[in-house]
Amino acid sequence: MDRVLDAAPGSKVLLLGNEAIARGALEAGIAVATTYPGTPASEIGDALARVAKDAGIYFEYSTNEIVATEFAIGAAASGVRALVSMKHVGLNVAADALLTFAYTGTRGGFVLVTADDPSCHSSQNEQDNRYYALLGGIPLLEPSSPQECYQMTKEAFALSEKLELPVILRTTTRVSHVRGPVVVGEIVPGPKKKEFAKNPKRFVTMPAVARARHLILLERLQDASKLADESALNRVYKIGAKSRSGIITSSAAFNYVMDAAKKLGMSIDVLKLGFTHPLPTQLIVKFLKTHDSVAVVEELEPILETSIRAVAQHEGLKTKILGKSDGAFPQAYEFDQAIVASGLVKAFGLKGEAAKTVSVDLPNLPLRPPVLCAGCPHSATYYAVNKATNRKAIFASDIGCYTLGVAPPYNAADLLVCMGSSVGTAGGLAKVNDQPVIAFIGDSTFFHAGIPGLINAVHHGHKFLLMILDNRTTAMTGHQPHPGSDRGPSCCDITSVSIEEVVKGCGVKWLKVVDPYDIKTTTDTVKQALTHNGVSVIIARRECALIAKRDQGGAILKKHYIDQEVCKKCRTCVDKFQCPAISSVDKVQTIDDASCAGCAVCAQVCPQKAIKEAR
Amino acid sequence: MTDIYLVGVGGQGIITASRIIGDAAILAGKSVLLSETHGMAQRGGSVLCTARIGGVYSPLIPDGQADVVLSFELLETLRAVCKASKNTVVVSSNERMIPLSVSSQKLKYPTLDEVRREVAKIAKEFVLVEASKIAGEAGVPMSSNVVMIGALAGTGLTNLDNKHFQKAIEMNIARNVRENLAAFSKGLDAVSRRNRN
Repeated sequence: MDRVLDAAPGSKVLLLGNEAIARGALEAGIAVATTYPGTPASEIGDALARVAKDAGIYFEYSTNEIVATEFAIGAAASGVRALVSMKHVGLNVAADALLTFAYTGTRGGFVLVTADDPSCHSSQNEQDNRYYALLGGIPLLEPSSPQECYQMTKEAFALSEKLELPVILRTTTRVSHVRGPVVVGEIVPGPKKKEFAKNPKRFVTMPAVARARHLILLERLQDASKLADESALNRVYKIGAKSRSGIITSSAAFNYVMDAAKKLGMSIDVLKLGFTHPLPTQLIVKFLKTHDSVAVVEELEPILETSIRAVAQHEGLKTKILGKSDGAFPQAYEFDQAIVASGLVKAFGLKGEAAKTVSVDLPNLPLRPPVLCAGCPHSATYYAVNKATNRKAIFASDIGCYTLGVAPPYNAADLLVCMGSSVGTAGGLAKVNDQPVIAFIGDSTFFHAGIPGLINAVHHGHKFLLMILDNRTTAMTGHQPHPGSDRGPSCCDITSVSIEEVVKGCGVKWLKVVDPYDIKTTTDTVKQALTHNGVSVIIARRECALIAKRDQGGAILKKHYIDQEVCKKCRTCVDKFQCPAISSVDKVQTIDDASCAGCAVCAQVCPQKAIKEAR
Repeated sequence: MTDIYLVGVGGQGIITASRIIGDAAILAGKSVLLSETHGMAQRGGSVLCTARIGGVYSPLIPDGQADVVLSFELLETLRAVCKASKNTVVVSSNERMIPLSVSSQKLKYPTLDEVRREVAKIAKEFVLVEASKIAGEAGVPMSSNVVMIGALAGTGLTNLDNKHFQKAIEMNIARNVRENLAAFSKGLDAVSRRNRN
């Protein structure tokens, strides 16, 4: 039984916000769903990948977010319903398609989910993707809870078809990754096939068409604004007695507002906005007119606040508007109820206790940041590269588990901005630096955004080594398949695309494939590659240790132990190599049997040959 | 209303444990919210989840506000005491997972006595559970997380019936259900017995 697919209509099930989106989309009768995995959006695609075959929908992990979006556009322009989901930075990749699709508009419902990540829990920035709704003229819904994730996904499809526009559903980590009760409805399958009705004056965005379509988009936004004013997704919650003070809020911030206001014993009216773009102007005017002071509580950018100030100015209202611009609420990082409580105290000048903070004086505790796993092939690669270069190289890194190599002892990342950037930045680094430059990119990331950079490097004769760290999966986000994988989601017949063939097809003349578990060969190959005058590529291929371990039922390759009589406590295995299975306590290094993946890399690293295979 | 703060290390089954709490709460007809750590942090890093049973909107638990800290690892217990107050019961597994920083930066992993002493300064009670050992006795060495759910039930602080926990375990654990239910009972006994003593 899969709760996303099999939960009975009317039943209450515990669902992750992302799973609730998947369920909502199934009930909305989607024909296709696409994604490129990324935290905190991944479980939307993972849930749909699991049930696609049984639900009779088509699902794919596309090569990247813009391809995922374009695929969904093709389907929705034909008239079926399509869902595409991604993390916030994925929308930077997909934006080119989305912003012009708003001009052509859609026939079937088209919903794009962007999962934002305030506080950068798993991301390289905390950009606020509500701006894309403003930038593109795209209606925007923002759920606050799993129940709303479910409900607003369904509403988003209806809205999209009503307006013939794409709709953005925007979550944050504390919406996508919250699990709560969801009362579900019935899954009513929608049409899976349509005939594309040709209409180039709408769908082929030549300049003349685009000019005409922009006016249509602006008209539709007027209609959307009326719908926002009437929408049940925008409503007032009254806390305590009748009040002349109010709060306007949306998304996760709403939850903190409700708990904080209650805790502070406030009497206040809360206007919760679920349909936030276009702004429900009339509703806001009415709220401002009936309140003397209104705090706008939103995470990240002051988007509502700025718009609401503009509305007040336009209407000549004297209502005091409070928010980020007067310093009551911060513009960086996610909120919680304590931050919101302290903001409300500041904004309304409450005497109530500012959230009391418990000061706990703890000893300096050893940190436990995420690390490369026991048996991770990336650890072996980084060890070999450091050995080959004597650490005299500049490392252009990329996005994936292997970014964790930035930490000591590998220090294997010097520059990273976005997906695929290792290849592009390596060219620039190599052009103006004398040190050797090595770019690291994962297999999934290579397919996603590495290929144009590689073609550019070949064409212009840039000199650097590109190492494609091929662990046969998209590991960091939960082991989703990619174009090089042998297996796809339940509904797909897939063809595995060879990285070697792609690399050769890009015009690379120097290409080697190594097994990173073989330290000597990998080290020697890196040395050779760095002597090549041009782009050299090494594919370091070894399956992700977690997958290997799972597929072997937990059995390990070759269990190893440290022979304490041979060990000279030189610490090479902890200072130059790093494995979570090896610990050094009271100057004695040992291997933990339970976590050892049996990769035997430590045995190659040990200068004394003290690490031996257990028999 | 009960706020439970779950902590441990990626890979210890903490998300599954929080789901069991969530399902048990729904079976008991209560509202519940869980927040989870996914993605990068799971790679052997500190992991935290929250479970808030009762009518709340926010999934997060601010410092000093947990009713129960349910910790799957001793060092993480200490790291989580900021969530405790003099009203908090801290239930901790005795399991130790030495982080790489202990080896590489030559830092000291705290002793059990140190953990006990620091927790006692802040919390109402410190309850130690030999989760791994108990799971082994139940025949499911990998199910320390289910033992810890039993331990949570044993505190009596969740106001959920054991039958709801048991049903929730069946919903979330695919294999060795009988042994896992035994692991739950043993965890429960280990903690509720200390109440009687």
